[in-house]
Amino acid sequence: MTDIAELLETAGLTGRGGAAFSTAIKIKAAKENGAELIVNACDGEIGAAKDAWIVEHHLHELIEGAALVASGKRPRISYAAHRGSRTAELIARAGLPLLEVPHRYVSSEETSLISLAHGGLAKPMTKRAPFVFGGRDSQGRRVSPTVVLNAETVWRISQINRLGAEWFRSFGTTAEPGPRLVWVGGHVARPGMCEAAAGVSLSDLLDFAGGLPADARHVGVGGLGGVVITAADARTTIWDTPSMKQLGGALGPGIVTVWNPAECPVETAARLISYGAGESAGQCGPCMFGLPALAADWADLARNPTSKGRQHLKLRLSQLERRGACAHPDGVARFAQSALRTLAPEFAAHANHSCQKVRTPKARTAHAQFA
Amino acid sequence: MSGSALWYLSRATGVVTIVLLTIVVCLGVITAGRRRPRGESATIVMGLHRWLSLGMLVFLGIHIVTAILDGYVSISWLAVLVPFTSGYETLLVGLGTIALDLLVVVMVTSYLRHRIPERRWRFVHWASYAMWVVALFHGFLMGTADQAGLRAVTLACAAVGGLMACWRVVATHSDKERRKLIDAQEWS
Amino acid sequence: MPSSPEAARVAIDRVLCTGHGVCAQTLPGAIVLDEWGYPILRHEAVEPEAAALAVKLCPARALYLRS
Repeated sequence: MTDIAELLETAGLTGRGGAAFSTAIKIKAAKENGAELIVNACDGEIGAAKDAWIVEHHLHELIEGAALVASGKRPRISYAAHRGSRTAELIARAGLPLLEVPHRYVSSEETSLISLAHGGLAKPMTKRAPFVFGGRDSQGRRVSPTVVLNAETVWRISQINRLGAEWFRSFGTTAEPGPRLVWVGGHVARPGMCEAAAGVSLSDLLDFAGGLPADARHVGVGGLGGVVITAADARTTIWDTPSMKQLGGALGPGIVTVWNPAECPVETAARLISYGAGESAGQCGPCMFGLPALAADWADLARNPTSKGRQHLKLRLSQLERRGACAHPDGVARFAQSALRTLAPEFAAHANHSCQKVRTPKARTAHAQFA
Repeated sequence: MSGSALWYLSRATGVVTIVLLTIVVCLGVITAGRRRPRGESATIVMGLHRWLSLGMLVFLGIHIVTAILDGYVSISWLAVLVPFTSGYETLLVGLGTIALDLLVVVMVTSYLRHRIPERRWRFVHWASYAMWVVALFHGFLMGTADQAGLRAVTLACAAVGGLMACWRVVATHSDKERRKLIDAQEWS
Repeated sequence: MPSSPEAARVAIDRVLCTGHGVCAQTLPGAIVLDEWGYPILRHEAVEPEAAALAVKLCPARALYLRS
């Protein structure tokens, strides 16, 4: 039992990459198995920016945090970032081992990084047991014990070590303690990084970026793997797990994006779902066929909203959960589910041919409005 | 049993083995190359592939034992597993030995499939094609002109199996195509 | 034939699965196929003997038992 693991246990630090797993448990297992560490600084989710921010502004603390939890006399630590990104450049310039990740949405997923680090493709692996214990890929190739921690998680580790568990617990709620970075972007006056914690209201978060504009209609929380809610909900919702769960979502990896009201939100959702479909790793049937089918059904429903179409879409969504090696189809399904509910009025407008919104030009990418 | 009866039994079971082996290989090709998901037939094909391969072992066993016990030609027990150590028709019997060696490896790895890395199993299983070809050469070349019927059967096996193998190369299905399409993207 | 009191838990390696559909035949209550032929696991717990056979028969070695 190591001091740092106990300290993190007391502090109650959970993963900041979105999955919110107990960091103490991960670290204990990592030390017990001599696992190598990959610090995930990819900002893989749409609208994410906090990993880059940490590497830009707190690199020394990040390195400190990694050293604290890496195991063995000669710990193996690498920092993962997308090829050609500013984050990758900073990591390389600092002389740190860089794990260069290709530009795919699922490549920054935990098992993708592990696969890539061990000479495989940056595609998710079937997880029979956590790879902190070591394991094999589907073809039987051995994977030595490896653990992946989000960059913010590692940064928080160094902070807790320096400032104490009580300091950490002075932020947030009892169930979800500690400060959290949130990038608030999209249709706001001042897109930017804010340091918040679970339990603040979404409107407080939005105030950091100049407040929720009066003309805003929809807000995304958690990117493509998260949910989209109405502006009205955004004004009244608390950013914590119980409240977000009621909206079908979770805290997520610190991303709040206000959707551009000039664009038809059904179109925006369509673009995101299509993007998700195009980002399948092509390993699992239910994802590589199911997501494009979902995108097609969504487009059909947007053109011709019927209750039969809705039922059909809902059936599709139910067939995406836990049927892939990773949670990508689950994420897209969660997002589509929330969009289906939240955008009911807009679908009705489509049915009446009264949707006045701008059709987004084809050239725009899914990312464009989410920076 | 008289010498020539043993010899004829060996020849007969040898041909039956080749026929069964060809069927087993074809069943394997059908599974590997199937065009559309077919639940019921897929199960039957898989079951037959496994069951027939075991049945084939019976005929193969008789084929080998009778060949050795037959006093007219000298094939030692060693020659069963070590190629090119037979006094009689060293090369041709040796081919049979090689086919048997490959068969043993294929069957053992298949029996232990869940305990070995999948890619090892796959690599060895591909050797089934080589095994089948070697067995065909062994069977065809060891046949004599006065048993034209048996040779014809061997040729027919070669033709059918050859066609199936060609189909395997050109056949595709949606799962394979989709994987291929996505694999072409940047993944490393 | 008495079956062991503890049910076996089956799981699917989705990366290996190429949609042969044999599992839907060997575990008819627990697995059904979607429109592309990939398995939908209705419930994990199955009778151990059926599970063992199903695991053996999967052409892609995609079915496995969870301990």
